[in-house]
Amino acid sequence: MKNFVIETRDLTVYYGTHRGILDVNLSVEKGEVFGFLGPNGAGKTTTQRVLLDVFPPTRGQATIFGKDCQNDGVDIRQHIGYLPGELALYANMNAADFFKMYEYLRRDKKTNGYWKELADRLDLDTSRKISQFSRGNKQKVGVVAAFMNKADLLILDEPTGGLDPLVQKTVLEMVREAKADGRTVFFSSHILSEVQAVCDRVGIIRDGQLVAIQRVEDLFAQRMNRLTLIFEGPPPEGEFNFDGVTELEKTRQSITLEVRENLPLVLAAASQHDVKDIETHNISLEEIFLTYYSKEEGGSLV
Amino acid sequence: MFRLLVQELKFRRNAIIGWGLGLCFFPLMYIGIYPSVAEEMAGLADLEIYQAMGMSLGTFGDWIGSIMIVMLPLIIAIYAIGNGTGTLAGEEEDGRLEMLVTLPLPRWQIVTAKALALVISTVLIYLIVSIASWLVFLGIEGQIETELAGLDMFSAVMSSWPIVFAVSMLAMFLASFCSNRRYATIISTAILVVSYFGSNLSASTPLLEPFEPFFLFSYLDGTGKAVAEGQQLWNVMVLLTIGVVAFELTLIFFQIRKLTVGAWPWQRDGVEG
Repeated sequence: MKNFVIETRDLTVYYGTHRGILDVNLSVEKGEVFGFLGPNGAGKTTTQRVLLDVFPPTRGQATIFGKDCQNDGVDIRQHIGYLPGELALYANMNAADFFKMYEYLRRDKKTNGYWKELADRLDLDTSRKISQFSRGNKQKVGVVAAFMNKADLLILDEPTGGLDPLVQKTVLEMVREAKADGRTVFFSSHILSEVQAVCDRVGIIRDGQLVAIQRVEDLFAQRMNRLTLIFEGPPPEGEFNFDGVTELEKTRQSITLEVRENLPLVLAAASQHDVKDIETHNISLEEIFLTYYSKEEGGSLV
Repeated sequence: MFRLLVQELKFRRNAIIGWGLGLCFFPLMYIGIYPSVAEEMAGLADLEIYQAMGMSLGTFGDWIGSIMIVMLPLIIAIYAIGNGTGTLAGEEEDGRLEMLVTLPLPRWQIVTAKALALVISTVLIYLIVSIASWLVFLGIEGQIETELAGLDMFSAVMSSWPIVFAVSMLAMFLASFCSNRRYATIISTAILVVSYFGSNLSASTPLLEPFEPFFLFSYLDGTGKAVAEGQQLWNVMVLLTIGVVAFELTLIFFQIRKLTVGAWPWQRDGVEG
């Protein structure tokens, strides 16, 4: 039996008549980094807020560590580190006082002072007032606050937003280290390269609905299967109509196919003609992501 | 909860000092000036405009009642409204409340700590102004004819605190009930202003008399008698009860509030469309 840290069942949120999320069903296993992908307004933040009991779902249920997010919220949040997407801090405090306040309110003695180590690592001057910080430094404060209690579950909403590339790299390293410690990370982002870099699985949310959950390597397995066949003459008509094969583009001498299955059949069919060259394409996660978001592709892989 | 209360009080430290010391000018000016204007004030005692403003200026006691018991809470209530709506709706709108509610703290503790911090901050502001009033009175005591003592000055100022408590809790309740801080502030301020003028006008306008119980300031006696003898217990109890009931409502509505959404209670359950 799998050890799920997060589970949602038919999770639905309406804001009045406006849809937030609809029937979101997902499970996040212990020790995995789960990427939650979607553009702005897709429902990522809404899902996280329900998990953290900022507001209840209209219907459905969410559990963390097997406990109900609404009924056992306080107990659950003791074991969560959270970085909100829209970070708001007490501007008149200096960063050190903010971390001390956070530590004080959490009553987390076992991680006493860990924030100093994290702040040093992110090159954050904790003696300065938060109001004097740039957006990037404010984001560092949020990152430290999320990691400072060594929580069993990290819920990170766009954790690298506003950070320079070097610090982004450090934050991604911190995520990997959390995973190595056996902790679980719910990693919300629309930056696909970083999802690709740290996540084990990704869930793709579109218009409030979860349209796909896949392992990252499975998503990437598809990149070997996009082929362009270049012929000596005009490409043959109707030769590649196999299950799982989609014709993407056709030119005077070539045809580009997306091949999800039946690759041997495609190659066998191609060999019946004068094939001059075969090109394979590296499909980036962006392209796969866009495939899920294209209006033509409405299929769900959940 | 104690930890959060300490933190909330720290946030209010500058406001307590600023408002407390700033309002020390109030007794300094209005009590300190009395010896030089006493005769003129006695002549203005019967003017209707002053009566409409709840002011009776015939004696030193009346003067203190009008200024320190009636006007002072009106000013401190502005702080209470700003802080009462800001600590819930304001922090919700700017995002800070989300950081707080995602910590392992139950909501009732968050509301209680914030309410206690607001109550304590208003009491501390009152204490500073009351002590200042006492000291200023000691400075002019020899120049005026009055049977009042310094302690009367202190207790007279403190006696108007219950109305600030009621307004504070109403402001917090409205912050947990209204869709945003702007509405909460507008309604709280309207209650304060209408209560003030309504109470004064209902005392002199028969048409408004039946509405008098609905005006908060009707439960605050700003006469010289109240300065000497204190507020009536019944009136104090009514104001404290209003505050406690408003606090209870705040607990209920904050518990069910869809934070960060900015909706009225009847919009919060959501409609599947």
